[in-house]
Amino acid sequence: MTLVTDMAGAAALVERRSFWKNRTVRRLLRHRSFMIGMALCLLVTVLAVLAPVISPFDPARMSIRNRFQLPSGTYWLGTDNLGRDIFSRIAWGARFSLAIGLGVVLLNAVFGVLLGALAGYYRRLDGILMRLADALMAFPSVLLAIGIAAAMGPSAMTAVISLAVVYIPRTARILRSSVLVVKEMEYVQASIGAGAHDIQILCRHILPNCMAPLIVQLSFVFAYAVLSEAVLSFLGLGSAPSVPSWGMMIAEGRSYIREAAWLTIFPGVAIAVTVLGLNLLGDGLRDVLDPRVKLHD
Amino acid sequence: MLAYALRRIAQAVPILFLVSLISFGIMQLVPGDPAAMLAGPNATPAELAQLRQNLGLDRSFLVQLGIFYGNLLHGDLGHSLILGQPVLETVIERSPISISLAIYSLVLTILFGISIGMVAAMRHNRILDQIAMVIALIGVSVPNFWLGLVMIVLFSVQLGWLPTGGYVPFTEDPLGWLRAATMPAVAMALMQIGLLARLTRSTMLEILGQDYIRTARAKGLRETTIIVRHAMSNVLMPIVTVIGMILSVLLSGSVIVETIFAVPGIGALLGNAILARDYPMIQGGLLFVASALLLLNIAVDLIYAWLDPRVRLQ
Amino acid sequence: MKMARIKARLLACTAVAAGLLSWGVAAAQAEICGRKGGDLVFGMEAKLSTLDQHVNAANATRNVAMNIFETLMTRDENMAPVLDLADSLDISQDGKTYTFKLRPGVKFHNGKPLTSADVAGSFARYKRIGIDRSALDAIDRWETPDDATFRIILKEPRATFLESISASTVPIVIVPADQSNAEPTQLKPIGTGPFELVEFVADSHVKVKRFDGYVPNKSLKGISGFAGQKEACLDTVTFRTLAEPGARTAALETGEVQIVEDVPTLSRERLSKNKDIKVVQLDYAGLNLTYPNFSQAPTDNLKVRQAILASLNMEDIMDAASDGAFSLNPSFQFPGQTYYSEAGSQLYNQNNPEKAKALLKEAGYKGEKVVLLTTRDIPRAYTTALVMSEQMKAAGINAELLVLDWPTALGMSVNDTKGWNFFFTTWITVTAQGGAQSLRNLADPSNVHKPVGNKSDEDFMEQFRILSSSPDLEKRKEAFAKAQARVFDQVMAIPFGAIPKIQATRANVEGYIPFFNTRVSNVWLKQ
Repeated sequence: MTLVTDMAGAAALVERRSFWKNRTVRRLLRHRSFMIGMALCLLVTVLAVLAPVISPFDPARMSIRNRFQLPSGTYWLGTDNLGRDIFSRIAWGARFSLAIGLGVVLLNAVFGVLLGALAGYYRRLDGILMRLADALMAFPSVLLAIGIAAAMGPSAMTAVISLAVVYIPRTARILRSSVLVVKEMEYVQASIGAGAHDIQILCRHILPNCMAPLIVQLSFVFAYAVLSEAVLSFLGLGSAPSVPSWGMMIAEGRSYIREAAWLTIFPGVAIAVTVLGLNLLGDGLRDVLDPRVKLHD
Repeated sequence: MLAYALRRIAQAVPILFLVSLISFGIMQLVPGDPAAMLAGPNATPAELAQLRQNLGLDRSFLVQLGIFYGNLLHGDLGHSLILGQPVLETVIERSPISISLAIYSLVLTILFGISIGMVAAMRHNRILDQIAMVIALIGVSVPNFWLGLVMIVLFSVQLGWLPTGGYVPFTEDPLGWLRAATMPAVAMALMQIGLLARLTRSTMLEILGQDYIRTARAKGLRETTIIVRHAMSNVLMPIVTVIGMILSVLLSGSVIVETIFAVPGIGALLGNAILARDYPMIQGGLLFVASALLLLNIAVDLIYAWLDPRVRLQ
Repeated sequence: MKMARIKARLLACTAVAAGLLSWGVAAAQAEICGRKGGDLVFGMEAKLSTLDQHVNAANATRNVAMNIFETLMTRDENMAPVLDLADSLDISQDGKTYTFKLRPGVKFHNGKPLTSADVAGSFARYKRIGIDRSALDAIDRWETPDDATFRIILKEPRATFLESISASTVPIVIVPADQSNAEPTQLKPIGTGPFELVEFVADSHVKVKRFDGYVPNKSLKGISGFAGQKEACLDTVTFRTLAEPGARTAALETGEVQIVEDVPTLSRERLSKNKDIKVVQLDYAGLNLTYPNFSQAPTDNLKVRQAILASLNMEDIMDAASDGAFSLNPSFQFPGQTYYSEAGSQLYNQNNPEKAKALLKEAGYKGEKVVLLTTRDIPRAYTTALVMSEQMKAAGINAELLVLDWPTALGMSVNDTKGWNFFFTTWITVTAQGGAQSLRNLADPSNVHKPVGNKSDEDFMEQFRILSSSPDLEKRKEAFAKAQARVFDQVMAIPFGAIPKIQATRANVEGYIPFFNTRVSNVWLKQ
C-alpha cells in the first residue's frame, strides 16, 4: 500500500493560514465527495454506535437449526453456518473496524507527530529516526503486520499496534517533511533567533502549520487501517473470536461461497463502503486543504 | 551520478542491518513451536526436546543471532525448518513467480491507471470524469482478498473462463501463464490502478491549468497536440516515482492474493513461514525481499535523477 | 531354532501367488487398468512442504509420498498389518526374531535393485530421526544375512510389534541405502513405488509419472490399503494444492482437476447432481475430539471433568462442526475395526445439564474459568469448541475460548501444563492405526492430557500394557474395552463423533477408491 510520502507533495500541503478558518469549513460543506464520504462514514458510525440497540439478535447466538437462511424479514442479511444473524454481526463488526481504525489513527497522530517533529527539528536525531523508519518501511507492510500480530496473539490491541507500527513511519516522514519546510520560514527563523524555547517554537509555530497534511494523511491511514484489519482478521490474527469482525466473517464464509454466497458478500460490501467513505472524506480534505490542486474553481 | 548511486547503496547497509534485527526480534517474540509442528501427533516430550535441540531452537537469542550473522557473511541464509531447502535457493526459486505477476500487475496498472486518469482529466467535471473517478475509488476501497474470492466464483465457476488458480511458468506455456496469472494480477492491480488514476488525474489537471498550456490553447492548438507535446512529459515525472513505489508494493508479493489463488510466490512463501514458525525462512526471506526493494528504490531514484537533473544537486 | 511360518490373512501366500503368476499378469493388467495413459490432476486441500516421509506426519505428505515409496509392512484396506515389500515373514517360536524375505525383482526408481542393505539403511535412518522412532525401541538389532533377507531381533517378545512397524502415520518407507545418512527433510525421493517423482514445488504442486520398472506385489488381488497389486495406469499425476475450498470444487467442476479431496458438506449435494462428477466418501475417516488438561484447575478435578462430559450433546456439536455430515461414535475406534468397543459409552452424549450441575456442586466448583484452546486454522476444531462452550455455559460452567493460530495452539498444548483446559483436534491416523495406537496418546510417556508427573492413570495403564503386549487378540480386545471405559470414566479424552472424508472425481475417473490417503495407482481415465 502506498501513501503519499514524497517530500514535494507534503511540503506543498503546508499552509500559513490556519486550517480552522470558517472559509475552510464552508468549502468542505460545499465539496460533493467530502459530503458523500461524510454521509457514508456517518452511516457506518451510526451502525457501530447503535449496534446493541439495532441488532435484532445477539451476534454470537448460534442456532444450528436456522443455519444458512437466506435474507428475510427475520434475518435481514441471512444467517451464517452456525445460524448467527449476519446483520447483527455486521453491525457489531462495524464497531470493531472503526475502533481499530481510530486506535491506529490516534497512535499515528501521537507517535507520527512526535517522531516526525523530532526528526524534522533536530538534525542529529533525523538520521537515526529516518533510518529506523526506512527499515520498517522496507518490510512488505502486510508481512510486518502479520509477524507482529502473530507475536502478540489475536486481540483488538494486537491489531491496533501491528497496524500502527506499519503506518507510523509513513506518517512521521510526512510530518518531518512539513517541519523541514516550515522551519525555514522567516518568522520561525526569527523566533529561533530571538532565543525562544524549542518546545515553544515547535508547538506554537511549527506544528499548527503542519496540521493540513497531517489531517489528510490520517484520513487515509484510517482507510488503510480498516482494510488491513480485515486482512489480519481474515488470517485469524485480528480480532478475538467473541468479537465479530468483517474480515473474520469473510474467512468463515469462504468455504460456503458457492452455496451461500451471502456469508461472504455482505461483510465484503461493508468493508468496501467504509473504506470508500473514508477515501472520499480524505479526498475532500485534500482538495480543500491543498492549495496546489484547484479542482473546484 | 556514480557517486550518488554509491552513496545511496552505502545508506542501505545500516537499514538492512536494522531490517534483519527487527525480523529476528519479532520472530523471537512469536509463541508457537516449530518442533511440535514437525513432530507429529505421537511425539513424546523426550522426542520433542531432541528435535528442538537438532533444530538449534534451544540456543539463546544471542547465540542464534550470532550464528545467523556468521552464516550471512558467507552468503548463507540458513535452511528452512519446514521445507528443508536452503532459504536463499528457495527464495530465488520463487522470485520469478512473484516478479512475473508483479510485472503483469504493473502493466495493467500503468495501462488502466494512466488512461483512466487522463480521460478523467480531459473530461474534467463531466460525466466521463465522474465514472472514471468512481471506478478508481472502488479500486482503492475493495479488499483484494474478497475480490479474489468473488472473481473465482464469477470467472472460474460461473463463466468458466479462467482457471481457479495455480501458476504456469511463462517460459513453458505463455498462454497458460496469462490465463492463470490474470485474476491474481487484477486482484493485486485494482488498488494500484485506483491510486495511479487519481494521481494522474490530479497531476494532469494541475498542469493543464498552468500558463504555458493556456498559451498553447490560446494559440489554437488542438487539445490532443497540447497534451501529447506539452503536458505529457511533465505528467510523467511524478508518475515515475509513484510507479517505483507501486512496483515495490507489487513485488513484495501479496500474501493473501497468492494464497487464495494458490500461487507459490514470495508472499505466500513468507506468509506461510510466519504462520508455520519457520524462523530461518522468515529471517532470510524478509532480508532478501527488503534488500531487493531497497535496490529497486535506489534504481527508481537514479532514473528520477536522470530525468530531472535538479535532484542530483540535493 | 524352531520356526513357525506365519501365513495369516495379512501375510503373503507366496505359493499361491507364484502359481497365479503364469497367467495372472496379462489378465490382471486388463482388469486393473481399463486404459493406460493420460494425465490426472488431484486437488489437495493442504500445502505440501516435504516428501521426506520419515520426518513428516502431515496428511499432504502421505497423500503423495505413499504413491512414490513403499514399506516392508503396511496396512491393508481395514488398516490391518500386511506385508508389502516383503514376500514372507517368519517369526521365531520365542517371538523375538522376525525374518523377512524381500520380494524378488523390486527396483528403485534409480534402477538399482532392492536389497536387505537398503531396508537396513532405511530402518537406521528412521531410528535416528524418524518421527515415530519409538516404534523401533523394542528392537535389539537387525541383520542382513543375505541380499534378500532382513532379520529383526527384539529385546523381548512384543505382540504388537508388527502393528508398530506397519503403522501408516509416519511409515518407515524404504529408500536406497545411500540415503541412510540424509539429514531430516534432505531425503532424495527415490522409492520403489509405482510412480516416480518428476517435479516438486513446495506449497504448490508435485508431479509424478509412471515408473516403468515397477514390479507389483501380486500377493493380494488389487489394491488393499497401502499394499496390494498396484499399477500406474496414468502417465502422470499432478498433486496440486488448492487450499480454497470454493476454488477446489470449482476446479473439479470446470474439469481443471479430476479428483478433489475435502469437499465441503454443502457442496456434496450439488456435486452429486452433476452428471460429470462422482462423489465418493469414506464414512469413518477421522475422530473429532478434545482432551482436558489434568494439570490445570479446574479440570484437575475429576468431578468437574465428569460434569463437563455430562453437559455435552454430541449430536449438536457434530452437526455444527461438520455442517451435518457425521456419525456419532462412542469409541476411540471406528465400527468395523478389530478393537471397536462401546464400553463406557453410557457416559457419551449424555446431554444432561442437571447431572452436570449436581456434579459441579459435589466438586465444589465456584465458577473458575475453563479455557478451551482451539484454532481457527482448522474450522472444525474452532466450531466444536464454540458449540461446546455454549453447552458448558448452559450447565453453569464458565467456559472461555482461547483461539490461537495452529502452531501457537499446538505448541501450547504440547509444552505448557498451564493456561488451557481443553485442546481440540481430530485424530485421523491415530484412530486408524488400531487399538493400542489409538490410546497411545493417553499412555506413558506420550500423555497429551498432562497428568501430574507425566504419569497416566494406573488402572488405565494396566489395561494398556495388556493391550500392547498380550499375544492373545481376545485378551487385547478385552483390555482395549476396559481401557476405553476407564478413559470415559476418568474423562481423559472426549470423542465427539466421526467425520467422513468426502471426495469427488470427474465421471471418467475409474478405479478410484477413497482411503485415509490418496492412492492414484489402479486409477484410470475412461475415454
